[in-house]
Amino acid sequence: MKTQSYYLDHPNTLRNHLAKSYQIEPPEADSAKSTPPLISPKGQLFAEHENLFTFDGECFRETLPKPAPFVLFGVQSCDLTAIHYQDQFFANDPYYQARRQQALLIGIDCLSPCQQGFCPSVDAGPGVKNETADMILHQLSATSWLLLVCNKKGLNALEGLLLNPANESEFTDRDNRIASCVEQFNDDSYLQQGITAINQNQVPEELWQQLGIQCLSCSGCTNLCPTCSCYGTWERQDSNGDIRRQRFWDSCLYESFQREASQHNPTEEAGERVKRFWTHKFGDNFAQEFGRYGCVGCGRCEQTCPGVVGVHSVMKRIASDAKLDT
Amino acid sequence: MQNSILNNQAFYNLTPIAIELVDFINDGEDARHFRFRLPSPQSIDKPEPGQFFMLSVPGAGEAPFTFTVTPNDQGVFRALVRKMGEVTTALFQCQPGDILGIRGPFGKGWPVNALANKKILMVAGGCGLAPLAGLIDQLITSHHHKHLALVYGARNRALQMLNPERLRWQQELSLFDVLEDTGSTQASTEENHILEGTPLDAMDSVLRTLDWTPDTLLLCGPEVMMSAAAKNFIQRGLSAQAIWLSIERRMHCAVGLCGHCYLSEHHLAHHYVCKDGPTYRWDHLQPPEKN
Ligand SMILES: Cc1cc2nc3c(=O)[nH]c(=O)nc-3n(C[C@H](O)[C@H](O)[C@H](O)COP(=O)(O)OP(=O)(O)OC[C@H]3O[C@@H](n4cnc5c(N)ncnc54)[C@H](O)[C@@H]3O)c2cc1C
Ligand code: SF4
Ligand code: SF4
Ligand code: FES
Repeated sequence: MKTQSYYLDHPNTLRNHLAKSYQIEPPEADSAKSTPPLISPKGQLFAEHENLFTFDGECFRETLPKPAPFVLFGVQSCDLTAIHYQDQFFANDPYYQARRQQALLIGIDCLSPCQQGFCPSVDAGPGVKNETADMILHQLSATSWLLLVCNKKGLNALEGLLLNPANESEFTDRDNRIASCVEQFNDDSYLQQGITAINQNQVPEELWQQLGIQCLSCSGCTNLCPTCSCYGTWERQDSNGDIRRQRFWDSCLYESFQREASQHNPTEEAGERVKRFWTHKFGDNFAQEFGRYGCVGCGRCEQTCPGVVGVHSVMKRIASDAKLDT
Repeated sequence: MQNSILNNQAFYNLTPIAIELVDFINDGEDARHFRFRLPSPQSIDKPEPGQFFMLSVPGAGEAPFTFTVTPNDQGVFRALVRKMGEVTTALFQCQPGDILGIRGPFGKGWPVNALANKKILMVAGGCGLAPLAGLIDQLITSHHHKHLALVYGARNRALQMLNPERLRWQQELSLFDVLEDTGSTQASTEENHILEGTPLDAMDSVLRTLDWTPDTLLLCGPEVMMSAAAKNFIQRGLSAQAIWLSIERRMHCAVGLCGHCYLSEHHLAHHYVCKDGPTYRWDHLQPPEKN
């Protein structure tokens, strides 16, 4: 479908229209900001805790979630790119897909850089890519917005809302505004150097170890990172005696993540685990599999890390310590 | 419309199928050889030797084990389990008739096709014998290979497992039991053909006894043991492409989702052992040559 565009007086007009048929996330009306929230929408699709099945003593029964149709409203490009990435990773996961099918994604273009973000450097923003959303909001002025409709699902959701079609010229103006936003981002050439060093395996082991000492294994980064997907499982007994298996977000930075029953632990060293995190975010062999890096440049790991091992700190140190082949 | 995608066969099944614990025999210290019954032999795909399944013990959790005997036409299969932690301890409290769960088969098994007409040496340590058991039985019935020898290392006699099977295999292959602690006099170890030390300590003596030279090496056991054995045989002139090993990693899903079983080797960081392994060829695990 060719992208269609309309004028909108305010995002709330769209929000109120959608609220007739969908539950809206986040529920507060003022959610069309161009700064991503500290907590990404990851948990709306890959739940922090969820039931996998129940066992009644004889049979195992799959417990798929059955959410009512919902909208993720005003999602920034980095987080939409992350959802697009997770759509591939969880393509065959029935729990994720049961939620994903009920979700309508309304993106929002960022027109000025956020504090820790670096989406342009990892091809994840600041403008929303059509293939990552159903509709896109783009602010023109205090009283005027552009609404882009990316696909059939978006168009169907718009039914019943009368909007004026926008001029063709708005597309180029939008591109220009996004391009000027890209120019306002800080220089982050250390990122590219860091990525190269990680992929050439040129990061000295001692540096990983130092970073490992700084990592408190708090799981802040893995929880906030919109592309982290690891989980553990446990079982719970209901009051009627039925057993439920649940999965919950896990973190590769925990010492016990790979520890086996025999106590053999291939990533016993904290440095090895920190290395895992960054390899998963910037490794070329993951990029080949998923068509892009695992990092979408949201900067949340930097924002949250109490040990100063977030993305900017780590990549700066790697860039200055690595012995690059050039 | 909502459910159309969810009926798609491509979805991973994270919910087990109910199976019955038929019976078990004690087989070595803290190890039991179990028999389980599927609702029907077609309940799961036919496993290849070296493939594994996820066993659920309701209330305790789920853990990976290898089929020692794959499902017969009654759907009965076997697995050898050593008591280690939560799931295995709960399993050891189960009684015949109890309902458990299974998912699988998973992973890449042994390279059966590459074993045709080969002179195979298997080296197993401790629990590592279980993943080789199904292959040994398949080979000795199909006579697919040329020669077969098994070196089985255990810490002491009490920890040796698959005792009835090893007795039976003695007729069909060259079997070398190696014990770190023989716990008895020289005379009785000689009588029982037991070698002392680790499988590698015993290797010179094993190779002298065989009247053929192995051209294929299959390894299963602790990683340090497998790595030392692979390097030792490369020094002896065996090609890295003729060495296969089964790698163990902590697992919580077996379908490449939970992330626990990743490999930390730089060039294999995107590998999940549950899907891409557990069987690997030695050269594939080594860093690629820099050019
Ligand atoms: C491919 C494969 C095949 C195996 N085959 C056999 C076999 O035939 N016989 C046998 O006795 N053992 C086998 N093991 C080892 C067996 O899975 C562990 O002993 C078992 O997971 C211990 O579980 P636990 O709950 O008792 O231990 P705990 O320490 O309580 O472990 C808790 C959970 O962690 C995970 N875990 C812990 N250790 C391991 C491990 N080594 N491997 C994978 N997951 C682990 C499991 O999900 C387990 O349920 C195999 C392991 C793998 C990876
Ligand atoms: S690694 Fe950090 S910056 Fe990159 S996506 Fe994850 S939380 Fe955001
Ligand atoms: S391995 Fe670590 S970095 Fe990768 S998804 Fe899992 S928790 Fe995130
Ligand atoms: S066991 Fe979950 S990814 Fe391999």
